[in-house]
Formats: sequence, structure tokens, C-alpha cells
Amino acid sequence: MDYLLNITASGLVLGAMYGLIAMAFSVIYKTTGVVNFAQGEMMMLTAYIAWSLGMTLALPFWLMLPLVCVIAALIGGLVEYAIIRPMMGEPPFAIIMATMGLAIVIRSLTILLWGVNAEGFDASVKGGLLEIGPVVLFSEQVFALAVFLLVSVGIWAFMRFTRVGTAMRATALDESAALLMGINVRRIHSLAWAISSIIAALAGVCFALAFSRSPSMWFLGLQSFPASILGGLDAPLGSALGGLLVGVSANLSEGYIGQGLKEISGFVIIILVLMIRPYGLFGRRDLERV
Amino acid sequence: MADILNVTNVQILYDKTIEAVRDVSITVPEGGIVALLGPNGAGKSTLLKAISNILYPEDGEVLHGSIRFDGQDLTRASADHIVRSGLIHIPEGRRLFDTMTVEENLVMGAYTRQRGEIANGLQRIYDLFPRIANRRSELAGLLSGGEQQMVAVGRALLSRPRLLMLDEPSLGLAPQVVQIIFETIVRLNKEEGLSVLFVEQNAVQALDVAHYGYVLENGRVVLDGPADKLASNRDIQEFYLGSATGGGRRSFRDVKHYKRRKRWLS
Repeated sequence: MDYLLNITASGLVLGAMYGLIAMAFSVIYKTTGVVNFAQGEMMMLTAYIAWSLGMTLALPFWLMLPLVCVIAALIGGLVEYAIIRPMMGEPPFAIIMATMGLAIVIRSLTILLWGVNAEGFDASVKGGLLEIGPVVLFSEQVFALAVFLLVSVGIWAFMRFTRVGTAMRATALDESAALLMGINVRRIHSLAWAISSIIAALAGVCFALAFSRSPSMWFLGLQSFPASILGGLDAPLGSALGGLLVGVSANLSEGYIGQGLKEISGFVIIILVLMIRPYGLFGRRDLERV
Repeated sequence: MADILNVTNVQILYDKTIEAVRDVSITVPEGGIVALLGPNGAGKSTLLKAISNILYPEDGEVLHGSIRFDGQDLTRASADHIVRSGLIHIPEGRRLFDTMTVEENLVMGAYTRQRGEIANGLQRIYDLFPRIANRRSELAGLLSGGEQQMVAVGRALLSRPRLLMLDEPSLGLAPQVVQIIFETIVRLNKEEGLSVLFVEQNAVQALDVAHYGYVLENGRVVLDGPADKLASNRDIQEFYLGSATGGGRRSFRDVKHYKRRKRWLS
């Protein structure tokens, strides 16, 4: 029983990181209709920047984290402005290829600047083991869960209760109607990219703290994509939940069935789920008036 | 009376090749109601989209000509700037945000306004259309067509426009609902001096409401005049009002006079 609880808990932690990145995917997709295949790489880049700020420049954690968020927002905004905006109106396939190109550029750039070695990331959240009943977690794992919960609630509240968040949903639903309301659609797109980059950056920092920052971190992006599909690519909260599901099932299948299943279990689940609900668990089906 | 909107010699192209509107000039006087009539594909909707500058997602552009609203040139202004200036456009088919509630839709209409104005603005719309007041928390996509049109009009009014543009407000609606919509518009025009420019296929309805009308065909203005003059025009009666005089057989050679009359200047 303790074994089950413990692998479920660490699965939740892994799922929290998947969920954050999946949310990042879906914030961009929902608002702009673009799938950003460089999400994992942008996450890795900001994690490296965070590492440099925290380790090389030795900034305190409470200063490093907001600074990383600002940098992430700028990177996201820049990518939108320089690569995506000029390509608007091109076929979606072309835009996807552009983000894939960007992904490879960032991967190489990271290795060029920081080298190929993985390095540990020590920060003030490293506080040893925490025991919650029979479950034992590292403090940085608890931190990841906390970040996940805060971001999920934050995104939900932002989309639901703020005017800009509502405008974001409106833009997602009907772009030209949004234009006619006087919503600056371009600014909304930039904002979506910035928000998504911040969420991904937080995931990257959590991951680097819990494990290490390494040039293979981008792979986390690839593993989070099924989570987003599972929850619904146009549903940020659904994607977050999809992340948890994929994380837990990855850990359970590895713990009870065998090594190697961790990587593929997420994909197995999405194949099964998509057969029943092609738009994801929480994706939007077009509303039909009867 | 000063003019609130002046469209002068506008030419609009799609994909840089297909000419949708050619040398069209229309004027909306301050406090006036102007109707744009014409068959499908005449360029009426395109003209409205050009005025509110939302043609670029469809690869349309205004090649030359000018659009002036309230003294300022809006030909190259951004869509949100145009809304802020007081010109709002209700598109064909209403285009509500289906999976958002009625109230959220209305709040989006006030996107360019101060936060403090929203509560009053909403109350005003609910007074204007009591039917949507008690459906405010329902999803807009689940409303009936007529209620949706009321939300669309309300949403537009929340931006506090000085000129309201409507694209086929009667499309697919019951005559009774169309009546309510038009009555509201006329009331706003009379009480608050709201200027109105609307596109309509239903010429009887349109000329009944409007002060002035333009007839567009194939991207050009072929006829224009005060609404009562247009309504008594023989061509209009023949083609748009469907009241052929006298009955019996008529040769098509005898109608559409304006097509054979040379119009050097449009």
C-alpha cells in the first residue's frame, strides 16, 4: 500500500510538470490556433537561464524566480513577434515547421552556450525529505506540486474573471468578431505566448530543481504533448489534468509492469481516449443549438 | 447637417486580383439612417468590412479611396482604434461568442470602455431588450436566433458607438423579431442621435426605416436617393419590392433603365 501511495505521489509530481507544459501548449493553441513544437525547448532554455541566474550569479531564489518569469515572457513575446506573426495566414503546416525549426535552433544554442553536461540546481527549496503520512517526498517535489496548483488556479481565474482573459477566450472563439469588439487581437496573441512561456519556464525550473538541468530536458515537452491532447488541446485546465493522468499512469505502469513503459504509457492512454472522445477529455465540441 | 461618415471612391480588392467594390462613394449624415441595398455579391458586406478594417484576414484591401469618420481618416486605422472612435459593426450572422454567456458577450462589447461604465451599460441593454435580461447567464449559442440578434445589437451598443453598422440584421429571423430590432434602432436614432448604416436584402423593410438609400450592384453604386424617392422608383419597385405594376407579361427589355443609362460618375 505504501508502495502504491509513493509511486502515485511521485507520479503526481511528474504529472504536475507534464501538466504545466501541457497548459503552456494549450494556452497558445486555444488563443492562436498554433501548436508550438518548440515548447519543450523554450522551457529548457528558460530553465538554463534560471540555472545561470541562480548558480552562476547566485541570485536569491525569491529574486531569481520572478526575473525568470519576465525573461520567459520576453522570449515568448519575441518568438511570437519575430516568427509567428509574419507567418499568420500561411498554412498551419508551415507554422508548425517553423516552430520545429526553432526547436532545433534552441537545442543547439543551449549546448553551444552551456555545454552538454547536466548540472545540479541547488536552491533554497532544497530542504530534504518531507513525510506526509506514509508518503515521502522531496521538498522540491512538493514545490513542483504547489507551483502546479497555483498556476492552474491562476489560469482558471484569469480566463474566467478578468476582462483580458475573457477577451482571450473570445479571440479563441471568433477572431474577426473579436476584432469588431475593438479587441487588439495581435496583442492578445503576444500575451498568450508570453503567458505560455512563463508557465513552461516554471515547469522547467521545477524539473531542474528536482532532477538537474540537462540538454535532454526538451524531451519533457514531447512527453507533455500527449497530456495536452488527452485533456483537450484547447482546454488549459483539461490539459493540466491530462498531465496528472499521464504522470501517474506512467509511474504506475513502470512500478507494476516494468521498466520502459513509463515513456509510452501516456501515448497508449491517448490512443484509447481519443477513440472515444476525439476532441480530448475536456476539449470543446462545437455547440449545437437544437 | 454634418456628415459623420464619408466613403470616397473606394476600390476594394481581394487577393490583389478580384475587384469587389469599385469607386464607391457613400455618405452617412450625422443622425441619419442609411440603407445599402443590392443583390448577393454586390459588395455590400465587403464595404462594411472595409470601413471597420477587418478585411485583412480574408486578404482583402482598400486599394484607393478614403474613409473618413467624424473628420478623421480611418482608411489605414486599426480595427480597435476604429471601435474606440465610435464606429461599431454588427457582422452578418451575428457572430456571438457561442460558448460564452450572454453577459460575457455583452461585456466584450464594452472592451474599449472604462470598467466603471459596464454595469450601467448592461442595465441599459437589459432595459432595451427585456427578453435577454433573464437569460444573461446562459450560453449565447443556445439562445434563439432573435435573442442572439438582440445580444449582438446590445453588445455593439455597449461600445457607445456614434455610428452603428449592421450587416443584414433580418437574416433568418422571424418578422416579429425583425420588427423589434428595427424599432429599437429607430428609437435609438431618434432619442440619442445614433447614426446608422445598414445592409439589407429586404428592401421593403429597409426603405421603410432608412432616410436615404444606396443600391449596389456588381461593386458599384447604381442608384441612390432619399428612401421615399427610391421606394417609388420604377426599377426598385420591379426588382427589389417585387410589385410589378399592372400585372400581365412584361419584357425584361423595358426594365433596369439605369443599366442602359450611362453613368459616367458613380
